[in-house]
Amino acid sequence: MLLNSVILVFQETLEAALLISVLLAISYRQWSRTAWLPVSLSVGFVLSLWYALTMGAVSEWFDYMGQEVVNAVLQILIMLLIVFCTWAFFKSRQVEDGGDPSQHDRFARIFTFSAAVAVALAITREGSEIFLYLSGFFQQSEYFQPVIIGSSLGFGIGVSIGVLLFYGLLNLPGGWRVKVPMYLLALFAGNMLSQAALQLTQADWISSAQALWDSSGWLPENSIFGQLLYALVGYEATPSGVQVIAYVIGVTLVIGSAIVATRIAKNV
Amino acid sequence: MKISPDRIRTQILVLVSMAASLYCQSLFAAAPVVEIEIKDHLFFPSEVVIPADTKVKLLIRNLDPTPEEFESYELNREKVIGGNSKTVIFIGPLPPGEYPFFGEFYPKTAQGKVVVE
Repeated sequence: MLLNSVILVFQETLEAALLISVLLAISYRQWSRTAWLPVSLSVGFVLSLWYALTMGAVSEWFDYMGQEVVNAVLQILIMLLIVFCTWAFFKSRQVEDGGDPSQHDRFARIFTFSAAVAVALAITREGSEIFLYLSGFFQQSEYFQPVIIGSSLGFGIGVSIGVLLFYGLLNLPGGWRVKVPMYLLALFAGNMLSQAALQLTQADWISSAQALWDSSGWLPENSIFGQLLYALVGYEATPSGVQVIAYVIGVTLVIGSAIVATRIAKNV
Repeated sequence: MKISPDRIRTQILVLVSMAASLYCQSLFAAAPVVEIEIKDHLFFPSEVVIPADTKVKLLIRNLDPTPEEFESYELNREKVIGGNSKTVIFIGPLPPGEYPFFGEFYPKTAQGKVVVE
């Protein structure tokens, strides 16, 4: 029970922790702003509790496909908010070179608002699963203690990796400071859209096709490295074509928004 | 050539019944239902056999008071099922093979597999 709760909570925590560290590293570096994070964490906490409590009712929507549809909507929203964040980040970098300071402030507001909502939604999705998992053990006192200890450990490991990534991003050498966070956001957005496509396939809203490839022999999804890659870049051993296309669209939107923000600012 | 009303009626009847049977076939082909129950953190049956290259509707009833999460890396499926409730998961069409699944909340006991033939 203990080990299982470590793994489960670690998996759920890691994805949100990675997103938080990248967004926080950008907002701290670019505008020295971090105040959005505690607000976002609190809102996410409340929303995830609420989502866990209403899961029973939500599950019955759309002929028992409510969970898939809500998750897909959350994932698509997170992807779009990441695109906004990237755009605001690159616009702000452009006005730095002789732009007026009020613009700098405006992009900071767009970024922090989008980042705060994206993180709150990510926590809603991942956190509700942790709450549902834990709720099962409130009725079984003999497992309660090991599960709480295991969950705390899993949470701690997930948060630690996020903190490491945050400081790693802050200490990147000059040329990498912008590129690395941008590519991480692009991969994260691709992951979100690909997962949304998978949810809609599971709900039978997108017709299912056979896997495009099978790399489970090389790198099983349930291995430690497979899990890490899943959280980081959305690794799937047997993805469908729709998932791969969704992934490419997510990546393209983020990189595209960076290019558009840079180009237009240069022309003005 | 004169077509009698009787003949037209027969033809319409044939068409309607053909359409109806096609519709039923497509409904059937779209979703044969396979039922699985969760009780005491175990899947019943723990092994289900489904046809190859066919979409199947898994109807999962959780008879335990605690939530469970149906998960399978091989099937690419993941879904929470509340305590004392049921849910639907579509799987397939799949090539023949074995596709293990498990309950993520109680993985020690909740184990099963889908066998595609």
